[in-house]
Amino acid sequence: MRIEKRQVEGQPLTVIIEYPEWNESVDSLVRKIGRMDLSFVGKTDEGSVNVSISDIYYIENVERKLFLYTKDEVFRFDGTMADIESRIYETGLVRISRTCIMNTGYLSQIRQIRNSHLEAVMENGEILIVSRKYLPDIKRIFKKEGL
Amino acid sequence: MKRILRDTCILSALMILCVFTVSIIWTGMTDEIKLVLQLFGLSFIIAVVNFFLDEYTNLSIIGSYLVKYVAATCVVMLFGFMVGWFYRSNFWMAFIYVGIVLVLAFFIDAFKTKKDIEFINARIKDKML
Repeated sequence: MRIEKRQVEGQPLTVIIEYPEWNESVDSLVRKIGRMDLSFVGKTDEGSVNVSISDIYYIENVERKLFLYTKDEVFRFDGTMADIESRIYETGLVRISRTCIMNTGYLSQIRQIRNSHLEAVMENGEILIVSRKYLPDIKRIFKKEGL
Repeated sequence: MKRILRDTCILSALMILCVFTVSIIWTGMTDEIKLVLQLFGLSFIIAVVNFFLDEYTNLSIIGSYLVKYVAATCVVMLFGFMVGWFYRSNFWMAFIYVGIVLVLAFFIDAFKTKKDIEFINARIKDKML
């Protein structure tokens, strides 16, 4: 597969896929790219905005309210963890505890504190608590990416 | 290897259940069959308790195994008294049975967690290069 990339100013991000014939790999590639373009409707005091999955660092459930965290912004989300989980299949987002979903694309390290709890250090320096139960799910995402 | 071991255990459980079902139909319930079915029942209850502990608590690895030890021992003792495994004189044996299983599980879990963390961090490093 040949990968070409070029900067075109003033245009939205565009992906062109050229293929000799439509097959399962092409189909899977198109679906994966399509999923990267998914977004959630986030709410702020000013109104609603579309928050792209690729901009989300993590999603947290705080007292039964969901919040989408991007690099330096927070949005409210009207929905449940189940709604989000049903849409994040085959994306880099994965549940890491009962109340948190993390984007593995922004993960910079997982560490264990003295044989105690697990922490995920994000690229923006935020630290999230990881439940050991979900560690195999995070590993599965990195395994898939390595294929 | 892990997958082979897991599949072996699942297959053994299915074979035991199939063989015993046929035996129950042909010869009725015997003490041995009753014991194995009780063990299956106990495993199910412990698995459910374990699930809820994993889902609703976020303790350290040692803390989580201590809580599981207490919970599993209570379940085994209650279940054991109900089905007549234990008497007042030997109920303490539940602490030993559960302890042995949990010590093994703890070491396997600690080792696996360490390996998973190393794998994930190595992949992140590769991605950054």
